[in-house]
Amino acid sequence: MILNINKKQYTVDIQGHETLAEVLRDTCGLTGTKMSCNEAECGACTVIINKKAVLSCITLAADVEGEEITTIEGLSDGDNLHPVQQAFLDHGAVQCGFCSPGMILASKALLDQNPKPDQNDIAYALDGNICRCGGYLKIFDAVRAAAEEKSSVKDKKV
Amino acid sequence: MLLNPFKFHSPADLNEAVRLHNSLNNARILAGGTFVINTLKSLKNMGVKTPENIISLKKIREIKGISRSKEELSIRSMVTITELFESPEITENFPVLKTACRHIATNPIRNMATVGGNLTCRYTWTELGAILVALDAQMHFAGSDGREEIISLEEFFKNQARSSKILKSVSIKYEKNTRTSYQRVRKSSEVDVPLLAVCIKTNFIKKRFADTRVVINNGLEFARRDLKLETFLDSVEPGNQTAASALDHLDTSIYDTKEDDYKKAMFRVSIKNAVNEILQGSKK
Amino acid sequence: MNTDKKEYTNPVGKSVPRIDGRGLVTGQAKYTFDLKLPGMLIGKLLRSPHAHAKIISIDTSKAEKLPGVKAIITARDTHLIKFGSNEYFFPQTIDQMAIEADKVRYIGDEIAAVAAVDEETAQKALSLIDVRYEILPAVFDMTEAMKPGAPQIHDALNNIALILPVNFGNPDRALKESDYVREDIFYTQSAAHCAMEPHVCVGQFETFSNKITLWTSTQAPFKCRESLAKCLKMDLNNIRVIKLAVGGGFGGKLEMFPMDFAACLLSKKAAGLPVKITYTREEEFSFSRRKHNMIYKIKSGVKKDGTLTAITGEVIADGGAYCSYGPTVLAAAMMRIFMVYKIKNFKITGFRVYTNNPISGAIRGFGGVQSGFSVESHMDLLAEGIGMDPVEFRLKNITTPNMVTVNKIMLTTNGLKECIEKATRACDWKNKRGKLKHLCRGIGIGIAADVMGSKMYKAHESAGSIIKIEEDGSVYLFTGAADTGQGSNTALSQIAAEELGVSYTRIKCTAADTEITPFDTGSFASRVTFISGNATKNAATDAKKQILNIVAEEHKMNADELDIKAEQVINKKSSSVIMNFDKALELCYSFNYGRQIIGRGSYNPKTTPIDFRTGEGNVSGSYGFEAQVAEVEVNKETGQVKVLKMWDAHDVGKAINPQSCEGQIEGSITMGIGYTFYEDLKFKNGRVVNPNFANYRLPRSIGTVPIETIFVETNDPEGPFGAKGMGEASLLPTSAAIANAIQDAVGVRIKDLPITPDKILKALKEKDLMEKSKTKS
Repeated sequence: MILNINKKQYTVDIQGHETLAEVLRDTCGLTGTKMSCNEAECGACTVIINKKAVLSCITLAADVEGEEITTIEGLSDGDNLHPVQQAFLDHGAVQCGFCSPGMILASKALLDQNPKPDQNDIAYALDGNICRCGGYLKIFDAVRAAAEEKSSVKDKKV
Repeated sequence: MLLNPFKFHSPADLNEAVRLHNSLNNARILAGGTFVINTLKSLKNMGVKTPENIISLKKIREIKGISRSKEELSIRSMVTITELFESPEITENFPVLKTACRHIATNPIRNMATVGGNLTCRYTWTELGAILVALDAQMHFAGSDGREEIISLEEFFKNQARSSKILKSVSIKYEKNTRTSYQRVRKSSEVDVPLLAVCIKTNFIKKRFADTRVVINNGLEFARRDLKLETFLDSVEPGNQTAASALDHLDTSIYDTKEDDYKKAMFRVSIKNAVNEILQGSKK
Repeated sequence: MNTDKKEYTNPVGKSVPRIDGRGLVTGQAKYTFDLKLPGMLIGKLLRSPHAHAKIISIDTSKAEKLPGVKAIITARDTHLIKFGSNEYFFPQTIDQMAIEADKVRYIGDEIAAVAAVDEETAQKALSLIDVRYEILPAVFDMTEAMKPGAPQIHDALNNIALILPVNFGNPDRALKESDYVREDIFYTQSAAHCAMEPHVCVGQFETFSNKITLWTSTQAPFKCRESLAKCLKMDLNNIRVIKLAVGGGFGGKLEMFPMDFAACLLSKKAAGLPVKITYTREEEFSFSRRKHNMIYKIKSGVKKDGTLTAITGEVIADGGAYCSYGPTVLAAAMMRIFMVYKIKNFKITGFRVYTNNPISGAIRGFGGVQSGFSVESHMDLLAEGIGMDPVEFRLKNITTPNMVTVNKIMLTTNGLKECIEKATRACDWKNKRGKLKHLCRGIGIGIAADVMGSKMYKAHESAGSIIKIEEDGSVYLFTGAADTGQGSNTALSQIAAEELGVSYTRIKCTAADTEITPFDTGSFASRVTFISGNATKNAATDAKKQILNIVAEEHKMNADELDIKAEQVINKKSSSVIMNFDKALELCYSFNYGRQIIGRGSYNPKTTPIDFRTGEGNVSGSYGFEAQVAEVEVNKETGQVKVLKMWDAHDVGKAINPQSCEGQIEGSITMGIGYTFYEDLKFKNGRVVNPNFANYRLPRSIGTVPIETIFVETNDPEGPFGAKGMGEASLLPTSAAIANAIQDAVGVRIKDLPITPDKILKALKEKDLMEKSKTKS
């Protein structure tokens, strides 16, 4: 079957019970999508399908033939990072990075649908993505900045 | 692999889905996947036998979307929680459903989970269940002869949410002068599974409760009505003390809290708040 | 080299972007979790289903016959060597075998391992291994375990792995002379690290050279190597431990795990095929490490004027089945008091107890979290007892700069007073404390100290760095320090660039590969910026000197007259430019000179050995400090507590990368908030009953608490560019600050974590009843 991933066609030979997360990572070699809990709680496996953030570890690959799938690998354009990726870097919203692909995709899905989200909108859009390293304040900063299309590195003064 | 092997089917129309469901051995319906796939993983980990066939409803057009007639709203079973949340019909006419949707699980799950799955997966905690019972929702199942079989959600839950048929849609009637209050309590954080939920819906006519439906969900059983409290509210002359008095008219047998004092206390707080919210006129 | 990013010269103190950031945001960074090698087998561990049992026999014959199984190991295949993670100072804690031989002591104890072509086969093979056990009585409660007659888990008398008695002065007399004495008992729960990347490793044995390569998700590759060498009886240079990107550690990845050992040995048995073992999330919760749940008894005295006279008490820690870093945790639970409070009379005895629960080990805060909650809550209660404001009380009793404590801790720079003053000013303490009760709001304070390393690990705690500068002026930094997301690669690169006098963009950091990078004890106890940072600075100084020697030689000058600043070699006195950095490197590698520039540095913090009979010793080269304030609102109807805001004033010495420092503080406080309200690892008969995120709740984007960070820069003379380490301390006072704020808001005191709504409601009810009975009488 053919999977439409990051605007490319991937011809894969998969079985009905393979989850999208496994197919992305093991068959397509796209290891940017992570897995952390195997119980649809942590959001590390988040991808975007038809503009909505969804969990690839509970999605059957066979069930998404023909759908538009976006993984973290599909965001940057060669050397240029997507504004959300750049904002995450600029605002210190990335520490260990394991949650980052899922978090960035969930943020992108939000901003594509709601270009001017308020604090609540951001909180609910990201409530399915756990960050254990840094908490969420800088992630909020990054999403707001990406929404404002600003990204600047601030010096912190005492 | 995360899942045990099975044969995957993706019928294009409902008749085909019904046919497969009736003819295949050890088959399970797949809606959004948030419950079924997760369950299949757990069963595999526990070494329990899992379905040999999975029938995905994803491609079936006739069970998608929300539509209305003059009298009733029809929510097809494959409508996702997010779609429900974003629906203008729901936003305008059933805001309490919208509020509940916001708090169901997490964002990606809301994007995937369906109304049909939420009501039929036999998980006693269904966020929508309590509210839809309060709204006297009707379940429309696909009969094997192409006809619809309709059963109230309340009856469906009384029967432990068991059904051998595929759910097509859920309908709720438009009513005037309704006031609804939905209260839910989480044990300890904003992102916990709820401890309990209370939904009260009434036709508030001439400053009195009428045709009140009080639905409680304690997580241990499916949402059910407190008929004793309903009778009380319909008969009382509403005033400042109504909310407090309501607590003396509960059918205590259905508030099984397994000796959880906090849960008991929170039920009382929730009912009090729900009654007061209705009296204060929130059209939720 | 093309360096047109001028703003990145003098990068220390600037929030420069993460050096590895691009890889992380694009998903291209490779974690051990992603590692796939040709011919790789999947390994799985066979675990005891019993909490306490003798192993009578293990029969692997059926499993060996299963097609696809390539290797099976049991204790028979090992040298039966025990290891411990705190073994240097506490040899009695060398109590664990990677694969147990005779006995299992907790549900999950590893007794065999299998490598097969895929996961299904490995899992099936496990089920085919026949094990016969003789089940022994087990004990799960720490106080029960200490009683005579309790099941004997190891050889330790009364199952006490370690007693740490810390005594100074004459506390009994001091208590008698106090104006107010009170005693409190606090209970802190067990918790899990929940790093997003689970424990995972790939081991490969090179048959022709007898060499092992282990890729593992670790905070301490050299510790891992050391334990592997010990257990496999191999030389250190025959074991290569490589750390790739790591998805968080928080103390749970500081030692060798049975999976590391098993992967290597399985690979050897499987003719050198690499073997990958990954923990599931359930294994993470159930069988890795956890926080010591503790009972903290504390009895202290004060004078009317607020002076602390004596602190006494007892700490009992549930250590689970083996020791791991238990001794360090226990020590931290008691010693940190001396870093923040001036106290001469002290007697606390700590007990780390064996039980048949899963293993307790190091987790962010190392015992300082449990003691933070207990001591800081207790301090507020003491202040209340003499009618003194808690801030005034602390200011009266805190340590000062340049003092030696009664247990010989040498405090140098100490910004604690400034931290308290800044935090309380920022939160408007004077106008809020005691004044918001009508809104059910309150404000509370907690203070803590941070160490830089803990001197419990080895005889030395040194770090090493190598800086290699290429002929085009690009720079390699080799450091043993392990970046697990906290940003050490970045901070160390900033230090290197600052000292070299060049742009941060020149630096490429290679870290934590035991074959290539110098030794480093690992990422724990906030040690990396201070210790590894100094090693890096020294290496940069060395490299710079080598360059300047050549430039001086060429220009017939004295090397001491020269320096490198903003990418230019300059005459220090006149500030005139001799040549730019690129030209200088060209010169070094030119025909007349041809000298490689390889700078090396090492640093061992100035500490003194700790005498564990008395508790005396200077454990760290410097100390960080903080004051944290929480403002809360309590819903008296539901018992729910909302944290409105937290303020954290932090003495970091110097913030090398302010944004990273903030990130650490925010992440740490978030973890502290989780521990305060809902993180609770629960057990029943030795089994974790909530080994998943559905039932072990973590903080999420909803309910995020605003945090204001205030840096206090005391410019430590010993730290690199004045920096101290940080990252751990921020969750130490959080629970107490919140509990103290709740007391201020609604007058109830919760002494056992987590603080749940039902506890608040119960406490409010009891308070009401007490007040009613008072008014009656």
